[in-house]
Amino acid sequence: MSEDKEKLISDAVDKALKGDKEAINSIEDRVTRAKAKAALVKAQRNQTTVNEDSTEANSEEKPNKNQKLELCQIVAENIEKKFPKSIDGEQNEKWIQLKPENWFEIAKFLKSDEGLLFDSLQCNTGVDLGEGFLESRYNLHSMKHLNNIEIRIKVSIETPEIPSVEQVWRVANWFERETYDMFGIVFSSHSDLRRILLPEDWEGWPLRKDYEVQETYHGIVIPKVKEGWE
Amino acid sequence: MGLLENKFEDNIIVEKLDKLISWSRSTSPWFFQFGTACCAIEMMAAAASRHDLMRIGIIPRSSPRQADVMIVAGTVTMKMALRVKKLYEQMADPKYVVAMGSCATSGGPYWQHGYHVLKGVDLCIPVDVYVPGCPPRPEALIEGLIKLQEQILENRPLTRKTG
Repeated sequence: MSEDKEKLISDAVDKALKGDKEAINSIEDRVTRAKAKAALVKAQRNQTTVNEDSTEANSEEKPNKNQKLELCQIVAENIEKKFPKSIDGEQNEKWIQLKPENWFEIAKFLKSDEGLLFDSLQCNTGVDLGEGFLESRYNLHSMKHLNNIEIRIKVSIETPEIPSVEQVWRVANWFERETYDMFGIVFSSHSDLRRILLPEDWEGWPLRKDYEVQETYHGIVIPKVKEGWE
Repeated sequence: MGLLENKFEDNIIVEKLDKLISWSRSTSPWFFQFGTACCAIEMMAAAASRHDLMRIGIIPRSSPRQADVMIVAGTVTMKMALRVKKLYEQMADPKYVVAMGSCATSGGPYWQHGYHVLKGVDLCIPVDVYVPGCPPRPEALIEGLIKLQEQILENRPLTRKTG
């Protein structure tokens, strides 16, 4: 390539980077124009990586923990503003404890609000806290803002009922079925709340602390071995 | 053989039909591949070219209706136990079962705390040969199948059982 062409290309790329796209399109020779476009793409890529590096450097100045504390507080304040008295107990720095009543509306708000945009439910699972309480935990992720939060909803073991968020995040369908299967938490207004892993006619909720294995299943004896290490 | 000796032409073998049937059964026990866990990989390896089960007449089939032997390879859960039983009942007589691996013989690692695991497939269907191991190597499975062939060879399907 001659020096003239190289200079032409570098000039055009410089102009294009400043916003003048016509500079490249107005090159008459087809081969040179294609080369100029390739050079532009390369230059843009370099620019963006430089930008990302600088943002990473900025975020490293603040400690990560503070950021998470801020995020959880901001989200909790937003929820509290829109749905008063839905936060259960003191605000924690690692998760948000909610009451089950307004959960469906709060979930819709968390997903659709421009500032939060938690569009991905990454996991939902249950926990038996003992002392007569079950808990359902939701890990939410925002694809746009790259934020993660955890929502916890505590219910009593006698009336374990939480509104289903299947209509908000469709993936919750099977997650909630699994939580129902293992802990017996009933997700009200779920479209298809059946056991997902165990057979339909299984008795009891296996991951609860007070679970006792049934003695027979369709005439097949389930031996109980209590000796040995526990 | 003294009575029938030299009474026929050459190339004729005189043998009891009883023994012939059991011999032919023992040399072609087609197996129904019932792989539910990691043992299935070893079962596949046994049937593939390196170990080549076909050289002793054993061919994998995918349908219980075409099979004589059911190799239960892997963990059988309570939910699966009902299916195992149903598939066993769909096989045509004579039928045999090989329990392959620790899980199928006794529950294996789920013996104590696996509330959902069938503690040995012999709790729901009759088993002829147990192959231990977790998972057993293909050689072990082949030895189990040869033992099964010996068992089948000893059977006398036409002889009336007494007592």
